[in-house]
Amino acid sequence: MKKILLACSSGMSTSLLVTKMEAHAASIGEEAKIWAVGQDQAKKEMADADVVLIGPQMSFLKGEFQKEAAKYGINVDVIDMMAYGLADGKKAYEQALKLMGDK
Amino acid sequence: MFEKLSQYLVPIAGKLNNNRYLAVLRDAFMLAFPLTIFGSIFVVLTNLPFLDKIMSEESLNTFRTLFGNASPATMGIMSVFVVFGIGYYLSKSYDVEAVFGGAIALVSFLLLTPFVLQPENGEAIQNVIPLDRLGAKGMFLGMITAFLSAEIYRKVVQKNITIKMPPGVPPAVAKSFAALIPALITLTVFLLINVFVTAVFDTNMHDVIYKAIQAPLVGLGSGIIPTLIAVFFIQILWFFGLHGQIIINSVMDPIWNTLQVENLNAYTNGDPVPHIISKPFMEIYTVGMGGTGMTLAVVFAILLFMKSRQMKQVAKLGLGPGIFNVNEPIIFGLPIVMNPLIIVPWILSPMIVTLVSYFAMSSGMVPPPTGVTVPWTVPVFINGMMATNSIAGGLLQLVNMAIVFVIWFPFLKVIDRVNVKKEQDEMNKAS
Repeated sequence: MKKILLACSSGMSTSLLVTKMEAHAASIGEEAKIWAVGQDQAKKEMADADVVLIGPQMSFLKGEFQKEAAKYGINVDVIDMMAYGLADGKKAYEQALKLMGDK
Repeated sequence: MFEKLSQYLVPIAGKLNNNRYLAVLRDAFMLAFPLTIFGSIFVVLTNLPFLDKIMSEESLNTFRTLFGNASPATMGIMSVFVVFGIGYYLSKSYDVEAVFGGAIALVSFLLLTPFVLQPENGEAIQNVIPLDRLGAKGMFLGMITAFLSAEIYRKVVQKNITIKMPPGVPPAVAKSFAALIPALITLTVFLLINVFVTAVFDTNMHDVIYKAIQAPLVGLGSGIIPTLIAVFFIQILWFFGLHGQIIINSVMDPIWNTLQVENLNAYTNGDPVPHIISKPFMEIYTVGMGGTGMTLAVVFAILLFMKSRQMKQVAKLGLGPGIFNVNEPIIFGLPIVMNPLIIVPWILSPMIVTLVSYFAMSSGMVPPPTGVTVPWTVPVFINGMMATNSIAGGLLQLVNMAIVFVIWFPFLKVIDRVNVKKEQDEMNKAS
């Protein structure tokens, strides 16, 4: 099962994207656990994830999260801006898969 | 050019966001948040405009007295929560026993607080703490004291100057003894500061900090020009895709929150509200009208008057969240970020609207926010009414949204034309 963590300022705007991503994963028959947390919990929750995606308005967190994520050998990136704005579950999911594939 | 500016701004945003002290300050105010919401609910309830029509004057007064302690117990002593919060979260960030850090910070604050009430005429009353020293007036001293106190505490702990209990002693007891020496050292520092200030200068730290730091800073922050500058930077940061409020609030919140508590104190006393600018003003009259940049008006403009398929799709997605003032779909979907075509309305309309709101209130047409906390996710018009306890507060927001609509319209039309042509070209190519 793929575990994708989304991090945002308070987890509000990202929750819509989570739903869309879950719907897309289900539609292609893949099992995925996708959840969103605020930036304060992200470092702890990373331990459970295969990849971390950050909301674009918190892009300045990337460096700090990458350091933490390196401990678990997982990748971190900023969610594609258009995918985030249009709640494009497919695009965000594919971005997450690509990040996981390079492990 | 935008790319270079973005590369410059992102690390600054990161540094501000990750700065230990600013993060702790943010968390400490978050601690006070549920408490102030509670207090605010009762201020709103006991001041609903139609109450005097359904209750006799006597029962209204009884109602107000009975339920009137929710606000003093929360907003009225907000410095207490902020001080404890800072002590707690700063200690936590250093991985030392946080609850002792909080308690020690609180006592440090009390050690600097005069336990005497000096009325204008008449004898001083001993063994009381004037309430406002625990509220608005003590805010900046509280913040400074808490940071200093927690720093001393954690340094002593980290240097291992503690009493270590033998194993077998229950952890709570061991922790209490471990905190003993750091507490003694920290508290003695503040006791001595107070001795020095009262014996040598015949004053107290509350008054010193209030006159030297709090009053000037808060006075500065309550002006329209610094407010417009803050709005400008919030918009610029969002233009580069960075969360403008998180960054600007970390600096301005201490001032805006203090202004809010001062307003609420006056309001619950029946006095005129002293400040127009306050935290609720920023939340209700900037973010609270459809999100940063008041984009709900933009959403309506697109849905009603624009023809581009892509824009309408974005606007449809943005309508639901926009009603609750969440507008990331518009910011990243239109997009607003890095889009030179809309930088003019994006920066200009919030500044103009803020100016309009300020003058509506300073001229007395609309009452300023009373100081109650209204969550910024409450929809527009409702949040304006709740914050100002008047219909005029809501109507002002509608006027403001109309102004935003008018400013954005020509720019949206330009983008619309460009998009429509692109969409038509794609259709022609496909057929």
